[in-house]
Amino acid sequence: MDMVIADNLVKTFPAPDGKEKRAVDGLTFRVGEGQIYGLLGPNGAGKTTSLRMLSGLMAPTSGGAMLAGYDVATQPQEVKRVLGFLTANTGLYQRLTPRELLVYFAQLHGMNKLEAFDKADHLIEWLGLTDFAALRCGALSTGQKQRVNIARALIADPPILIMDEPTLGLDVLSNRIILEYIKRERDRGKTIILSTHYLDEAEDMCDNIGLIYDGTLVAEGTLESLRASTDEQRLSNIFLKIIHASEKVEAAIA
Amino acid sequence: MSSVHRIRTVYQKELIDILRDRRTLIAMIVVPIVLYPLLMVGSLQAVSIQAASLDEEKYTIGVVGRDQQNLLEYMLQWDAKLVSQEKMADENAESDSDDKKDAAPLVDLVKIIPIKTQEALQINIRERAIHVGIVFNSNEFLKAIDQQNGVTILSDKAEVRGQYVTGRLQDMFERLSNRLVEQRKQRAALPTYFDQPFAIEYVNLSAPQSILGQILPLILILMTITGAIYPAIDLTAGERERGTLESLMVCPVPVIDLVVGKFLVVTTVAIMGATLNLASVTATVYFGGFDMLIATSGQGLPLATMLLILVCLIPFAVLMSAMMLAVCSFARTFKEAQNYVTPVILAALLPGGMAALPAARLEGVMLVLPVGNMVLLSRELLLGAPVPVGHLLTVLFSTTLYAGAAVAIAAALFGKESVVFADTGSLKTLLSRKLFKPTRLPSVAMSLLYVSLLFPAWFFVQSALSPGPNENAVGLLQTSAWLMPLMFVLMPILIMAFWKVGVKHALSFRVPSIRHLSAAILLGLCMWVPAHELNLIQFQLLGMPQAVAAQAESIAATLQALPIVGVILLIAIIPAVCEELLFRGFLMGGLSGAARKWPAILASAAIFGVFHFLIFKFIVTATLGVMLGYLCWQSRSIWPAIIAHALHNSLAVISVVSPTTFERLGIRLEDGAHLPWTVLFIGCGAVVMGFVMVGKRSPSQPQAAIVTA
Repeated sequence: MDMVIADNLVKTFPAPDGKEKRAVDGLTFRVGEGQIYGLLGPNGAGKTTSLRMLSGLMAPTSGGAMLAGYDVATQPQEVKRVLGFLTANTGLYQRLTPRELLVYFAQLHGMNKLEAFDKADHLIEWLGLTDFAALRCGALSTGQKQRVNIARALIADPPILIMDEPTLGLDVLSNRIILEYIKRERDRGKTIILSTHYLDEAEDMCDNIGLIYDGTLVAEGTLESLRASTDEQRLSNIFLKIIHASEKVEAAIA
Repeated sequence: MSSVHRIRTVYQKELIDILRDRRTLIAMIVVPIVLYPLLMVGSLQAVSIQAASLDEEKYTIGVVGRDQQNLLEYMLQWDAKLVSQEKMADENAESDSDDKKDAAPLVDLVKIIPIKTQEALQINIRERAIHVGIVFNSNEFLKAIDQQNGVTILSDKAEVRGQYVTGRLQDMFERLSNRLVEQRKQRAALPTYFDQPFAIEYVNLSAPQSILGQILPLILILMTITGAIYPAIDLTAGERERGTLESLMVCPVPVIDLVVGKFLVVTTVAIMGATLNLASVTATVYFGGFDMLIATSGQGLPLATMLLILVCLIPFAVLMSAMMLAVCSFARTFKEAQNYVTPVILAALLPGGMAALPAARLEGVMLVLPVGNMVLLSRELLLGAPVPVGHLLTVLFSTTLYAGAAVAIAAALFGKESVVFADTGSLKTLLSRKLFKPTRLPSVAMSLLYVSLLFPAWFFVQSALSPGPNENAVGLLQTSAWLMPLMFVLMPILIMAFWKVGVKHALSFRVPSIRHLSAAILLGLCMWVPAHELNLIQFQLLGMPQAVAAQAESIAATLQALPIVGVILLIAIIPAVCEELLFRGFLMGGLSGAARKWPAILASAAIFGVFHFLIFKFIVTATLGVMLGYLCWQSRSIWPAIIAHALHNSLAVISVVSPTTFERLGIRLEDGAHLPWTVLFIGCGAVVMGFVMVGKRSPSQPQAAIVTA
């Protein structure tokens, strides 16, 4: 069963000059259960906007999406129950401790106080946050903060995870820890959409890859199929080749 | 998880979060506990030190020529003697009047300088070389005892020392003239009361008003606002700025629960802050020994009153917090929020200041003026004036309505795409029509905001139109019948059309079933029976003000002289149609988007009741509102409610205009008399039967052609 279905998603923003800018232009893809789907592309390609539409934070101008069989437009509360969303540049409540923060979000997901404490303590142990679980979030390092954020996204043990640039601005060590978390969640059967502009880090993570450029999907498939179709090995080179090809086509049309 | 549980979760977390913030603690605790005592002690001491120092300073008085110098010196000496005589007499009579310290006699404080001309005198005063100048019109001044003597006192009004000496000189001349008048009366053998044809004594029986009571309500506004500003910004724009808003918005929690939780936190902090402020002021005044200075009544600070103020503070804090939250929900950053808050504070201070004017009274439009009504209410309570229950309830109800509208707006704005994401485009998108999606129902914020704006406006129209003793009620009723379709129906329709709300569906213009129509007719014909009995019960509980009863009678008399069809149209049919479209259509439609069946029906019925402005009719109108709301909800059509309402109103009009119609049926509607048991039984039975007929809810119509993108 396809856990995530994006169907021709379009989002236009009013541009300062009075015209409209198409940030996402007809995005369609599917993610099967237990897979990691990499939505990859450069900054400003429309990744974040797409993920916001998938999660129901933003209403699409046209098109629609289904998560675990729920329609994002008409069943927003159900969608939020099956979804853990790690947004890009997300913040934490500076004056709460990671443990308090996790308990809060657990309660917002409908757990009673006791269940919430159990869940928070379990995640703190599972993700190795014990050392700093009692400090204020404001005092944590960037890597520690991101680990707490991932714990927050996992709080309700949702079947679908959307991770928008989870490794942005992290050092090598924290980067590795986060990617390990993500793999471990996939192995537990979760469906994951991973967006990043560090193309090469996605190579050994994703079961399926969608390359997004200028609001549209320019290529999609497994790493092998992309390698085969472009004769390139590194994902970044594959991407550049595809972009180059599509621009050549555009130039030819014009 | 229930809504209450979610709201409590949000409340607890936000309260901990905000109380851990150093800035909140400084604003809430350090400022009142440290700053107020310091400010108050400091400024009061500065004032008293200055006053004391004026009594001890040396002053120079300029006169023209040496003769006049001698003359003034003579007068000053004489005055000093008179003062000491007076004091001796006082001490013999009453020895306990020693609480005010006597200033040194003027003669000891001044130095008199002779100056050549009056022009030079003026220049010296301008240059502040001397404090005051005195010019006598004659050097032979006091010797011409039966004449009037001219004295010119020159001073610079802007100069505090000059003012002080002028005041002391005025006292001196008053004492000397009194003395001279005594002498003149003795010489002419006139009685002492010769120049006092009336011996007038004013006896003031009112409780001495304290300055505190006059200014405290206004201080209260400021304290509550100050308390609400920071948390309101922190919990809305702060959440957006720190990047926590998105995580919150992907939680399966309705926005309204988040906003209500946050709103309760802002209210709590505002009340806590204002309580601390108030406690600190009270303690400073009380323990600092300033209570006599502030409460002119002389009985010190009324501590019990302070508790009363605290109680008044709660609805006040509720309204201010809701307004702040609504404004801040619109902002993306802390800075932006601060900019939005300033005009709100000014907007709140204007009615607050109006109400703080000594002449303002808690009556008329002031009863429903946002903020202003609370200021007046707390002042009336502070000054111990009796406040009628109706007024009290009107103030509380209207404040609740405004606060509810503000919370609904906050919920509508909070988490809105264009506010959450800066890249979605400017905030103008919130108002740009082409981006609106067509909807089937008005939003809660839209209907509540319009209704709360309409509330004071309609109140104003009603009081402006209510006929005076000699006015023609007919013309006024006609105006009202014209304004009602405009304000109750046309405006909501225009608003909905602008926001692309499907008017036909929103106002439930749908053909009802025969079953619901017959139920509506039955209810419309019989609801007056329980309504009549409810009215009686209510009158027994609250009583009807004489003025209202008299007004009702005079209106009845006017109406009896008019053609009955016109009267029914003007005051039965038109109001019925307009009120149904507004309350059961626009308002209940908006509420039904966010609330379940009974909360929506009850809330719209309560607002419908409040809109009649007569608190002693509230129970009846609200009950009717519930019945009509139920009828409309079950039938999914506005028509049954309109028909039932119009029939009910018409019967009420007929009972007033031509009571004989009812008498012919064997029903006597005398004042205060219960209906005969038979009528009561049949009527109530018919109403119950009507509701049985209403029965199950009509199936919803297939979704109209609304393009969902």
